[in-house]
Order: sequence, then C-alpha cells, then structure tokens
Amino acid sequence: MTLALAVAFLVAGAVFLVLSRGLVRIVLGFVLLGHAANLVLLAAGGASRRGATIGSPLDPATTADALPQAFALTAIVIAFAITIYLLVLAVVGGPDDDTEPEPDPEPGSRSSPGPDDREREAAP
Amino acid sequence: MTLPFLLGAAALLAALAPLLGRVLGREAGWPLAAGLAGLGVWLLVAVPPDGRSVRVDWLPSLGVSFALRLDGLGQLFAILVLVIGGAVLAYSCRYFDRGPHADFYGLMTLFSVGMLGLVLADDVVVMLVMWEVTTICSFFLISRSGPKGQASAARTLLVTVGGGLALLAAVVVMIAATGTSQLSAILASPLWGSDPAFATTVGLLIAVAAFTKSAQFPFHGWLPDSMVAATPISAYLHAAAMVKAGIYLLMRFSPALGETLAWNVTLVVVGLLTAVMGALFALQRSDLKELLAYSTVSQLGLLVATIGLGTREALSAAVVHTVAHALFKGALFMLIGVVDHQAGTREVDQLSGLRRSMPFTTAGVVLACLSMAGVPPLLGFISKEKILAAMWDAPGPGWVGPTAALVAVAASVLTLAYTGRILLGAFFGPTLDPAVREGSPAFLAPVLVLAAAGLVLGPGADLIEPTVTAAADAAAALPVGETALYLWPGFVPELYLSAASIVLGLLAIRSRHRVDALLDRPLFPGTAVGALLALRAGAIALGGRVGDLTRADTVRRHLAPPVLAVVALGVLGLVALVPGVDLAAATAASRASDVALVVLIGVGVLGVVVVRSRLAAVAVLGVVGFTMSLWFLALGAADAALTQLLVEVLTVAVAVLVLRRLPRRFHPQRRARTIAAACAALGAGAAAFVGVLALTGRPGISPVGAWYLERAEPETGGTNVVNTILVDFRALDTFGELVVLGTAGLAVLVVLEVRRLVASRRPRLAVPALSPSRFAWDNAVYARVTARALVPLMLLLSLFFLVRGHDEPGGGFNAALTGTAAFVLRALAASSDREGRSRLPAVAMVAGGLLVCVVSGLAGFADGAFLRPLSSGISVLGVSLTSALAFDVGVYLVVMGAVVAALDRLGPLGSSPPDEDEDEPGTGSRRDEVGAAAGGDGR
Repeated sequence: MTLALAVAFLVAGAVFLVLSRGLVRIVLGFVLLGHAANLVLLAAGGASRRGATIGSPLDPATTADALPQAFALTAIVIAFAITIYLLVLAVVGGPDDDTEPEPDPEPGSRSSPGPDDREREAAP
Repeated sequence: MTLPFLLGAAALLAALAPLLGRVLGREAGWPLAAGLAGLGVWLLVAVPPDGRSVRVDWLPSLGVSFALRLDGLGQLFAILVLVIGGAVLAYSCRYFDRGPHADFYGLMTLFSVGMLGLVLADDVVVMLVMWEVTTICSFFLISRSGPKGQASAARTLLVTVGGGLALLAAVVVMIAATGTSQLSAILASPLWGSDPAFATTVGLLIAVAAFTKSAQFPFHGWLPDSMVAATPISAYLHAAAMVKAGIYLLMRFSPALGETLAWNVTLVVVGLLTAVMGALFALQRSDLKELLAYSTVSQLGLLVATIGLGTREALSAAVVHTVAHALFKGALFMLIGVVDHQAGTREVDQLSGLRRSMPFTTAGVVLACLSMAGVPPLLGFISKEKILAAMWDAPGPGWVGPTAALVAVAASVLTLAYTGRILLGAFFGPTLDPAVREGSPAFLAPVLVLAAAGLVLGPGADLIEPTVTAAADAAAALPVGETALYLWPGFVPELYLSAASIVLGLLAIRSRHRVDALLDRPLFPGTAVGALLALRAGAIALGGRVGDLTRADTVRRHLAPPVLAVVALGVLGLVALVPGVDLAAATAASRASDVALVVLIGVGVLGVVVVRSRLAAVAVLGVVGFTMSLWFLALGAADAALTQLLVEVLTVAVAVLVLRRLPRRFHPQRRARTIAAACAALGAGAAAFVGVLALTGRPGISPVGAWYLERAEPETGGTNVVNTILVDFRALDTFGELVVLGTAGLAVLVVLEVRRLVASRRPRLAVPALSPSRFAWDNAVYARVTARALVPLMLLLSLFFLVRGHDEPGGGFNAALTGTAAFVLRALAASSDREGRSRLPAVAMVAGGLLVCVVSGLAGFADGAFLRPLSSGISVLGVSLTSALAFDVGVYLVVMGAVVAALDRLGPLGSSPPDEDEDEPGTGSRRDEVGAAAGGDGR
C-alpha cells in the first residue's frame, strides 16, 4: 500500500513535469520516472519480506528478492547516465537552435527565450 | 547431373562475362552467344523433358531446398531463353561501339541465369528469388542507358517489384496452405479443387504478378516506357524473355488453376482488352521501336487470354504462339535496331524505301512481319489459327467462344494494320536517303536466323512438335491428346476467322491514311505512365502527411501520446485489476515506518513540481532521491540504496554545472496546459497506484528469487546475492547495460564536441574590485583543505568497495560512483577549471573497461561459455581472485569513464569548451555562487 502510494506520487509528478515546458523540467520528470520504475521493480519482488540479501544461508521466508534489486541497481546507473546526457542537451546549441521562434501567445508573460526552450506554447 | 550442369554452365558464363567484356570489348558477345546457344541446342536435341529433378537443402529449417526440375514447359522456355539470348548477344557484337562492355554482358548473362532458374525451379522460394533476379537485372540494364533511362528504370522497377510482392504473397499463402514449398507438390495438391477461396486468392495474386511482368492492362505502361534501353536489351528482356516470365508463370499454374472461374475470367478479359488496346496504341505510334513495344503488349494480351481459357487446346496454342512470338518479335526488335543503327532514326515518317539500300534487313523484316500478322505459311499463321480455334471452342456459355474469337480477330486485324505501317512506311515506297548502307553480315546473321526460323518452322512444324507437345502436356490440366501442328486445318471456323482477319487487315492497310486520321487523337483520358507517376507522387505525399503527425521539435508532441496511451492502459488495468487486488495482503506488506518515506516522497515531488527556481527544483529533487535511497534500504536492497545515494550526489553536481548556463527560473506556461498536464499526471498516478498495489499483494517469493538466495554462495562463493547476480549469474545483462552506459558517456562527449556550450550566466553579485570575495583561491581554502584529506580517503574507499563487493555492500558500480564523487569534490575545491579537471582519459576508460569485461568473459570459454565465472582459487588479503572480480573492474572503469567524461567537459566553472578556457587561478569572480551551491547540495 505504502509502496504503491510512493510510486503513484512519483509517476504523477513525473508525468506532469514531462509534459511541461523546457527541457530541464522534462529531465526532472525523467528522473522521477526512473525512481518510480525502480520502486515498481522492487515491488515486483514483494514488499512483505525485507531482509537484506547479504549473507549465507538466507531464509527465503524473510529475505527480500535479490533479482529485482539487481535490476534496480543497474537501472539506477543507466538512468543516471541518460540524465547526464539529457542535461547536456539542455545547454548546447543555444537560442539560435530554437527551431520554433514563435512568440508566446500569452502577452505580458513572455520571458527571454532560454536555451532550453525546446518548445513553444502551441496555439490552440 | 543435367540440371546442375545447365545452370552451373550458364552461371559460369555470367561470372566470366564481365571479364570477357573488359578484355574482348564488344566481341565478348561471340563466346557468350556460342555458350548460351550451345546449351540451348544441347537441351533441345539431347535432353528429354522427363521430369528429372535435383534437390539440394538450402534453408532446411524452413524446409526450402534449391530444387530444379525439367519438364516440357521448363525445357521449352529454357531453350527459348538460351537460343534467343545467344542470338541477341551475337547481335550485340556489332550493335555496340568498340570498347569495354563489362556491365552489359555481365548483366545480360546474369539475366539468362535468372530466367533459366525461374523456368527450372521446383521450389516456389527459388522461383520467387529468380523472378526477382530478372527484375533487378532489368532495372540495371535499363538504367544504364543514359540519364533518360534512370527515370523509366525506376518506373519499371516500381511496377515489376509490385508484381513481385504479389508473387511473394502467393508463395506465402501456398506454403502456408499446403505445408510444402516444392512446386510440383503444390501443383498436385488437392486443395486447388477443394478450397475455392484458396484457389481464387492464389490465382488472382499470381495473375497480378504475371500481369506486371508481362505488361498487361493496367500495368502495361512500363514496357513502352522502358524502350529507352539499348536495342539488344529491348529485344531480349522486353520482347522475348522477361515479359515471357509472366506467361511462363501463368502456364505453370494453369494445371492447378485452369478450372477456377476467377482465373479464367480475369485472364481472358484482361488479356483480350490488352490485346486490342495494345494494337490500337501500336497503330498510333510512329517510332518503330515504340510501335513494336505496344505490339508486344498486344501479343502478350492474346497469350494471356488464351492461357485463361484453360483447355488443353488453348494451352498448346499458347505454347506455339510463345515460340512464334519470341522468334518474330526478337528478330523485329533487332532489325529495327539495325535500321536505327544504319539510318540514324527509327521514326517511320523519316524512313522510306529502305528495301533498296537494305535488302537483307528488309527480307528479315518482311518474314518476321508476316509471321506476326499470321500469314501462311509462317509459324505465326499456325499459332494464330490454333488460338482462334481454342477461343471458338472456349468452355462456358455458348456466346463466350465466338465473342472471344471475334475480339481476337479484331486484334489480328489491327496487327495486320500496324504490320502494314511498318512495311509500307519504312521499307517500301520512294527512297528518301540513298546514303543509308546495309548492316554488315556479322550484324545481320544472328537476326536473320531468327527471322528465317519462323519460315522454316511453318511448313516444318513437325520439328518442334515433340517439344511443344511436352510443354503443353505440362501446362494443361489434362495431359492427354496430341498437339498437332499443321498449316491446313480444313474448312473449320478458325480458317474463316483467320481469312477474315487477313482480308479486313489488308483493307485497313489500303485505307491506312483514313485509319491514321481516325486514330490521331488520345484514345484514353490518361496514360498508364501518367497514372503510375500520379500514384507514386500520391504515395510520397501520403507518407509526408503521415510523417507530419510527428514532425515537430516540440518535445511534448512526442511525449504526450505514449503517456496518454499508458494512462489509457491504466484505465483498462483498473477494470481488470481492481477485483484481483488483495488489499489485506497489500496492507500487511506495509510497515508503519513506510509512512514517513511516503510523506517525504510526496512532499518532495510536490516541491519539484511547484517551485519556479531551477536551483530549488534540483535541491528538492535531491530530497526525493535520498528518500529513494532510504526506501531501498527499508526494502532490504542495501546495494541499490548505496548506488542511489551516490548517484544522487553526482546528479546534483552535474545538474548544478548545467544550471549555471540557464535562466534562473523556469518558463511560465499557460494555465490550460498546466491543467491538461495535471490531469494526465493524476490519471497516470492512479494507474500506477493500482498496478503496484496488485504487485505488492503477491504472497511468497518467486521460485527464481528463492533459487538465487539459496544457490548464490555455493555457486559463486559470494555472499552479496545482488552482486553475484550482476557479475556471475547475469553478467551478460550487466555487460549489455555497460555498453549502454559507455555509449551514453561517449554521446555526451560527441554532443559537446559538435555543439557549443551555452555561455554561463553572469552572476548578479556586485563585488567591489578590492573585496576579498573576488579571490577564489583564498575563498576555496576550506574546501581545499577538506578535499586534500577526503579525496584520497574516498578513492581508497572506492577500491575497498570494489574488492569486497562480492560479499558485502559495494561492487563495481558503487565503487566507481564513490571514486567519481572524489573527483567531484576535488573539482569543487579547485579555484579554476584547469585545476579542477580530473584529466582522466574518459574514452580510454570506457573502451578499456568494456575490453576488460570482454576478456574476462572470454576466459569463461575455458569452462564452456562466454562470461562463465571462473575462480582461480587464489586469495590475496582475503579477496579471492575470480573472473567476476575482473568483470567488476571493467564495470568500474566504464562507469567512472562515462560520468567523468561529462563532468570534465561541462567544467566546474567553464564558460567555453575546455580548450578555449581562459580562466586564471585567483581572478575568476563568477564561480562563487555555483561553487557554493554545488558544494551545499552535494554534501
């Protein structure tokens, strides 16, 4: 129940950020999505047995499932590498790289176009 | 051995042809022609079509073998392919200019091999492959005929490849339905009679394939279009051989499909329509080659219609006409080529009276034309008689036969009319240009042989009767009766029909000026080539429109659809999962201490979502990340918790380096969009909640999980189960993940190499010129002193993690991240870019790490498999030396290399790529804010 709630919060935040404007917010959303995915992996092993998977012999009745943990571990590192890559993408190119230089349709709320302005507000 | 020898000899010729073409130039045609024609004569004289076959396993897992079989039909077509091929290659020796013709001879002989394989194949897959070989050879042969050739070669390819797809579909359906790919077995299957849907489907697919290859309406446009090719190519591929591949296919399947109504109707209707239409178009043309192309379309139509009748009489008529047509049309194409070569034009309006200057050519043209027009005593007369007879006796309702025969007569009348146009227009009448010279004997000889064959085989039809009978036996559903070839049929309907067509044709020739005036207008609102072009443009435009759906730089346009799809899936899941959720079990799996973690996560996520400052967002994201680490610890995942902790430190460090170059605040966004995103977020969150609830409710450990817990230590000697999974049990997975990591690191390097970094923001701090704050060296003193002590310790810790990982928390991933954190600390304490850079060879580390992994994996071959863990049995300082440890060293190098690549290039303080860095120690004033922020968050 608690694990499901944590995943729900993470997924909701991730989806909101991923659909927002600006590459950095999308990257933040991606990081949250990675967290959520890792928790889902661990949830797949079950949350009732929580003993550390170190030592020998281990009691399968109380020890956590080690396989999802191994998946989660590599997933964390890969998500990290992709996060770095996405963050670097946010700071290369610059405003000239903006392929959609259309003005913000909301007058008065215009900000100077940032380099991570990879998108414009789509006109309705 | 006959069949392998035949195909092998032809293939050998094809292999030699480019060489000969280079060495002998245009004269290479002679040996090649002798080879092909020799094989053809040998096949005609010495090899009985006794159904001999040969079979070699080709794709045994699919049950496909390279099978060849020689029956009457295959033999007849093989002889045509070889003999006509020989004549055309001999003719090419004088048609082309001197010089190397390696491509031409290579492709032409390769094409012969393809045709030979097609007509001899006894496996539908082999047949399909050979069919495509002829298509591809045709494409290259047309496209090498200059710049005009390329467009029409592409159009030809589009049509014939489309037909090839239909044949592929037919092949797949046949193999799926009959369970074999052997052609003779498929044809003998009882399914053709018992399953009308199968027979109709395959019949129509095969008809479409044959129609594209044999230029039947509405696919006829490519044949006249491809006349830009050189004459030998047109004569061989587009008159005598390739277009006959479609005819062959129809005849081959005629025994199976001859009694399927859809087959009969389609072939007869399309064939007769094409016959009349092609003849009309031919009559409109003034370019003799184009005229002949439409004449071919028309004659092929007649053949298709005859095959469609399905009776034995019809099939034998079609076989004879195939032979007659190959002879007279091949000869005509080449003779018009001679005229073109000698007179410099093939426009009928610019030619006249060639019979005086080119008597031999004229004699050949007259013979071929009379055979084409069906005038006795030539072979064309016999075949036309037989076709008309077969039509008259067509099965079905009483009106069908006479109607079909009358349409065929109409086509014959038109044939006679355009024959007159060729003869009277170009070869008789007043001499226009007395300077035109006759072609050389070597030029004419191969052609005249073909033209004369039509004359000899009329009265001497007995010569080919056995071959024709054998072919008709193979092509007809009922292999009974004789195929009598005779000039005088007696007073029967076909004689009257034939006579009527000749008389009407002569009348049309007499009033040809009136006929020309009548036809001097477009007969159809569009052309086949135009339709093809429109279809092609339409397909490209449609593709563009489909592509437009995703052609946007807006990231949201790409991300929203998958997210919404997941939400939709989640709604489905809600319906399917909610009844199955064991709430009690899910609640029992939770612990009271979890609540704090949930609250921390919830607050953290909310914080990331609502804050407007980028720096604050990254800081709050750090809170979520550390909570995640606690979550992992709470769930018993010590290694993952450690990894998460270290990754969080490094993520914040990298994020801060990036944020320096970006505006302080996020962009504002419209309320409507925020609401839409929030709705999608809530939907996705709810779906995730229910899904995970279903997972956590599961009782008991999975069998595989229990196995790992039980066997890890005995199997590997390691007590850290997660680490043994990573480096022992599932090392191949880990290796794949390392490749991803290394690639990401290299991608960062490449991106930073080709695109400039955005310049750093100017800080808003107003620091007086002499303020102590300006001097970074002094200000960094605390960080420097701390780092001096901590960095070596952290590196030692990282090595400690590395070696003990097999038994205790640690391992290559954690060790590398710890080591990287040491370099981050060093960079933060440094007072300048240059000083802060790690100077580690990132690329070499990634590559070397992967190499270490591969080598340690290869060592596993000593025990039988890649990455099989090995233990040396030696233990140094309590660490046992195993291949898994070596693998972990590789992991260490790759991870550190990938992360350091990004850190160094982004530069702690750099505002430009590292090589243009001009910062000097002690004077940089822009670093304070970031240094403090990164240090604060990173700790």
